[in-house]
Amino acid sequence: MSDATTELVITRVFDAPRELVYRAFTDPDQLAAWFGPVGWSVPRDSVTVEPKVGGHQRFTMVNDEDPAQASPVDATFVEVIENELLVGEQDTAAIPGLGGAVMRLRVEFHDEPGGKTRLVVTQGPYQPEIAEMAREGWVSSFTKLDKMLG
Amino acid sequence: MSTDRLSVIFAALADPTRRAILARLAEGDATVSELAEPFTISLPAISRHLKVLEQAGLITRSRSAQWRSSSLQAEPLREATAWMERYRRFWDDNFARLDAHLKRIQEQEKQP
Repeated sequence: MSDATTELVITRVFDAPRELVYRAFTDPDQLAAWFGPVGWSVPRDSVTVEPKVGGHQRFTMVNDEDPAQASPVDATFVEVIENELLVGEQDTAAIPGLGGAVMRLRVEFHDEPGGKTRLVVTQGPYQPEIAEMAREGWVSSFTKLDKMLG
Repeated sequence: MSTDRLSVIFAALADPTRRAILARLAEGDATVSELAEPFTISLPAISRHLKVLEQAGLITRSRSAQWRSSSLQAEPLREATAWMERYRRFWDDNFARLDAHLKRIQEQEKQP
């Protein structure tokens, strides 16, 4: 079951063919080479990717400055279409602000003209209150409040 | 900030009455009866909401028993909203690195 209002959807076009982008997600060497925010690394030996239904996607993001800070990801693929779609589910009962015990990450790979790829990432569900606060304009009003309070 | 503390803040923010109380306090400090005015709920019910907000660190209450006024604390709210932006920023960062990685891979493939 999905509700658009409680999911984060991000779309980006990459200048590379679909197969290549798909491989960047499913080849453990490649995933270790790029995944994670700036300042974090994914050690190659922490990566397992089994791109099939019921297969695991495991890796750990480690903070470069403080390796004690580590964020493990352990997801199970629930939908896999080679070069087209990866859907993984992760048990996230311990992460606040999420709507349920399971966080779903859906990655769609679409062809774009000129040998490019449009990636659509959908992540969620988030706690409905958060979506509601966004609708009520809380985020912007807090920004204003921040300015007011310096 | 610990995840436990964030959970407490999000639980406090989950209730629409408590969010309305915070919105009112953003305009200035208020007493329990002033806060109760727009609502059809009792003073003790408002007090219970204030206790939840206080425990989450979202408000502070003055010591004076008679005119016990509440004031908004901005920092936990800032942290909560920063949390909301975290996932989007995460993917922005991630995509920038994927973009660079794909360029590198394609250049390697072009080379003999």
